[in-house]
Amino acid sequence: MPLKVIVSGMGIVSSLGYELDTFWKNLVEGKSGVKQITLFDASSCATRIAAEVPRDFEEFSRTLVKKRASGQMTRVTRMCLVAAKQAVSLSGLDFEKEDKTRCSVIMGVVNTGNSSVEKDTSLQNTVFKSMTNSMPAWISLEYQLQGPNFSINTACASSAYAISMGMQMIRNGIADIVIAGGADSIINPEEINGFNALYALSVANDTPEAASRPFTSKRDGFVIGEGAGVVILESEEHAIKRNATIYGELAGSALTSEGYNIMAPMKDGEGMSATMEKAIKDAGIEKDDVDYINAHGTSTELNDRYETLAIKRVFGEKAYQIPVSSSKSMIGHTIGAAGAIESIITLLSLRNSILTPTINYTDPDPDLDLDYVPNTSRPKEIEVALSNSFGFGGHNATLVFRKYHGKV
Amino acid sequence: MAKITENTRNEVRETVFSFFAEECETDKSQINDNTSIIKDLDGDSLMFLELIEIFKKKYNLDIELKTIGKYAVKHPVETIGQLIEMQLLIIEHENRLLELDK
Repeated sequence: MPLKVIVSGMGIVSSLGYELDTFWKNLVEGKSGVKQITLFDASSCATRIAAEVPRDFEEFSRTLVKKRASGQMTRVTRMCLVAAKQAVSLSGLDFEKEDKTRCSVIMGVVNTGNSSVEKDTSLQNTVFKSMTNSMPAWISLEYQLQGPNFSINTACASSAYAISMGMQMIRNGIADIVIAGGADSIINPEEINGFNALYALSVANDTPEAASRPFTSKRDGFVIGEGAGVVILESEEHAIKRNATIYGELAGSALTSEGYNIMAPMKDGEGMSATMEKAIKDAGIEKDDVDYINAHGTSTELNDRYETLAIKRVFGEKAYQIPVSSSKSMIGHTIGAAGAIESIITLLSLRNSILTPTINYTDPDPDLDLDYVPNTSRPKEIEVALSNSFGFGGHNATLVFRKYHGKV
Repeated sequence: MAKITENTRNEVRETVFSFFAEECETDKSQINDNTSIIKDLDGDSLMFLELIEIFKKKYNLDIELKTIGKYAVKHPVETIGQLIEMQLLIIEHENRLLELDK
């Protein structure tokens, strides 16, 4: 029997707040973090909206990140370190009491955000700002951790992969504690023009807060978000031993590759459904146990169609009874950070018995007929929830979270 | 070869103290010659390079980094006082720094 893996800490930086309580309150209220881009002059871009982290984050980060180190990090790397420090603080961990060779850091990192938007890049900090291993490196430096420390890039599934790998390491006895998550920002002219050339982004510039509208007939592409999400994973045994608060169980996961297309998901969501099937099996649960799905739900034509088809293929008629919502309707698509941020939302939904909504759900797509938790949050006791992440290149991940009731 | 005057010595000292106080967010009064750069100030090796660049510009020095690197391997710097002395030697001897070991 594999070790049970639990979550004992969470930290978040997002357009809807950089403290867990504020973030959750805004989500439950169905607020949108999407606004006109302020990080650079986007007037020449087809897309001029994004879900930016509030400007006062920089001031907040100075309370947690030393000036010297901060100067060697990009804004995104600072987000990652701040989220990690918040997660560690919430977990109550004192690494001086831990075997640091058994404490690991795994971050999903697509890029470090060292773009033309990044400020104060000098020749001497260019390399540090660009190193894609910098996020886990800074976290391990902060606590002098000596276990495996690395980053994973699987596009939009990166941080879900990081969490899944963290779970595997604990299950296999390689680590006692894994700090897992990710951070990302692609709010810069190079990325936005690139994604616009692929017709992947919403161009609803006049109505930013209503631009991300997953599962509706008016969806016209995803809205870029930015931020960081970090969780503390531990074996149940280890957490109980140190009397930690347990926020939920990571019961299982699945990582798959579609081998199909660099951009488009496999037809009819075949790869997505295979991933959910494997994750359910890995968690040792029945399909009937699943009470909620935090969808990848990007607000693109293909993802939302195929993810809906995939859920129907996995659950059959029961699919209509499972609430499915997209956090990206509120915080945009945070790319490499999405899997971790949405895992945290899923954990909070389990813990607080509230499902966060899919906002901007005003024009249903007749082909997409599941319960998308439209527009307002919903009180609901749930025991088991899935969190889906699917990335360009055919990288798929599904994480299975379960409410924690104490050791049985 | 530049002559190290009392004025140069004071300038270097002031620059080093100010640099570490600013970068490490420490009060200058907390720094002395025996302060450990790593243990006490949480500094890093890159700071040494940044200071060299500052002094290269200030004193128009002809010094290659590899020369400093070779010298530093034999004369490791751990404290603020050792760093000031090394910077003064660099200013005084520039690319002839290694001749000091002969």
